[in-house]
Amino acid sequence: MRQTMPVRLNAAEETLIAQLKSVGAAADAERISVAGLPTRRVESYHYTDLKMLLKAVPPLAEAANEASAPALRVAGAYQLMIANGVVQSGTTAPAGVIVGSAEGSALSTRDDVLVHLNTALVRNSLTLTLENSVDPVIQIDHRSEGEAAHVADSVKVFVADGASATILETFSGSDAAHVNNHATYMALGKDAVVTHITVDLSGRASSHFATNEYHLADGAKLRTLVIHAGSGLSRTQLFPRYEGAGAHGDITGLNLVSDGQHNDITMDATHAVPHTTSQPLFKSIARGHGKAIVQGRLVVARDAQKTDAKFMHQGLMLSDEAEILSKPELEIYADDVVCGHGSTCGKLDADSLFYLVSRGIPKAEAETMLVRGFLEELVDPIEDEALGEALRSVIDGWLLGK
Amino acid sequence: MTTPILEIRNLHARIEDREILKGVNLIIPPGQVHAVMGRNGSGKSTLSYVLAGKEDYEITEGEVLLDGENLLDMEPSERAAAGLFLAFQYPIEIPGVATMTFLKAAMNAQRKARGEGELSTPDFMRAVKTAGTDLNIDTDMLKRPLNVGFSGGEKKRAEVLQMALLAPKMCILDETDSGLDIDALQVVSKGVNALRAANRSMLVITHYQRLLNHIVPDVVHVFSDGRIVESGDKDLALQLEAKGYADFDGAAA
Repeated sequence: MRQTMPVRLNAAEETLIAQLKSVGAAADAERISVAGLPTRRVESYHYTDLKMLLKAVPPLAEAANEASAPALRVAGAYQLMIANGVVQSGTTAPAGVIVGSAEGSALSTRDDVLVHLNTALVRNSLTLTLENSVDPVIQIDHRSEGEAAHVADSVKVFVADGASATILETFSGSDAAHVNNHATYMALGKDAVVTHITVDLSGRASSHFATNEYHLADGAKLRTLVIHAGSGLSRTQLFPRYEGAGAHGDITGLNLVSDGQHNDITMDATHAVPHTTSQPLFKSIARGHGKAIVQGRLVVARDAQKTDAKFMHQGLMLSDEAEILSKPELEIYADDVVCGHGSTCGKLDADSLFYLVSRGIPKAEAETMLVRGFLEELVDPIEDEALGEALRSVIDGWLLGK
Repeated sequence: MTTPILEIRNLHARIEDREILKGVNLIIPPGQVHAVMGRNGSGKSTLSYVLAGKEDYEITEGEVLLDGENLLDMEPSERAAAGLFLAFQYPIEIPGVATMTFLKAAMNAQRKARGEGELSTPDFMRAVKTAGTDLNIDTDMLKRPLNVGFSGGEKKRAEVLQMALLAPKMCILDETDSGLDIDALQVVSKGVNALRAANRSMLVITHYQRLLNHIVPDVVHVFSDGRIVESGDKDLALQLEAKGYADFDGAAA
């Protein structure tokens, strides 16, 4: 059905339309002119009404002149930097890693405004080809520097059959009101084993949008961990596709939400072939008037018999005003599968807290211990010790901050 | 006269509108082990929670002194640092917190509260190893999350290990025998007995006499309907076991 009433466009939408026209993306500009940014009436944006939340869009990014210190350092990591969308020349890549560049965004076509924007705005993607197992953590350090900018970048990773790697993407930069739109495309070959961690540590004035698309071949194993711990508005979209028998995904994520923040993790997973498994596990902690959202959809294709998938979202409310929203969805076309979803939300357990304080641990410290314990399930499986410690420091930083 | 380790005077407490403790009086001198026996629902466990400072209860009357200090004015963590220890009937499972991490945090928090310096890691490890050996607790168990997946025996041994490391003045053991088989009961009792000392008192709460064969009390109190109704030596426990509670509190069993 065509919309007959014209949409009233706001300043952010007008800016986006002008920017899309300026890069020659007339079709994308037209789409926003007609429909505007998604509102809560669009199911996948029900809890993240972009038209309401995205008040302004800054000018398209120009190359950065300066760079702040990396937001997260991991001992022994191989670092690459993308500043304001431009790949910076780095140090020599470790054996088995080929760094290159490809035209355009890495994402597949999808009817989603963040994907459209990324596809229209990104000129070149950073490409990483991992020919065999890579020992050091590969860190891609995304920066948005200088005056407020609309930044788009894209990373494309190919992991060869049987190879293994740990890839960390960190997002940070100046305190300006950047709007960042990141994309990562990752193809895992047969029996490849990949840990992919993304940590947003941008300033509070920033908006952080990221879309991670994964393709898993036979026997491939993927562990992800998305951590939202920076931007005032953030949404990470996870699109894993299990395309080979034996493929398995531990798709995990964490919203660390303080007063006034709005963090959204949205997963839309497809089990495309028989005998694939996944264990999506998300956690949200909110304090003040913070708002955390996790949406998780499991789509099981008609032929994908013996799929075994269980979605879980656990929320922890540290204040009465916090909001944690959860939307699990199952869309199953096969008839011989085990799929489930669960969602819990609550405060710190009073009995657990009493047990700790009864041993002499002051209340505030006991609360911190319990929160760390609650999150350990996400950090513990990460094998690289230095990386695990770095992630614990992000969590501790949030716990000690306001 | 020496100051009692624990002195409870006319303690009344309620949960919501229901009065559970109705005037408890109890004095435990240094070095003594007192047992409190009573039927289920008589308020024994409430007494232990009230002493440890659980929030659910409202104290309406009375006072409690721990080694001469007003216990009821203290936060639960302050009570622990002042020397009170409650061994839980059902130790709580804390996922994601390694037992070792917890032990170190508890010991250092208490030291800090008393103005002492933090334990060095080697000193801590040595203390844990020594105390653990006597209780058949190995380091593998201590690396596991606190009480998570522990058997009944392991949980109670872990409680006694904490008691040994925290070296309290006043130990309250709430139904320590529940969930224990005979062998585990012996290990736990041996651990508790090893901690008996001239400057440490214990309050053993139980509804079976069995535990008192292993941890022999100096004084036995019968608890009924929120107060102590009878006190005597260890033979009182045997009489109770033979006759039941009805003879002491007048109510039908």
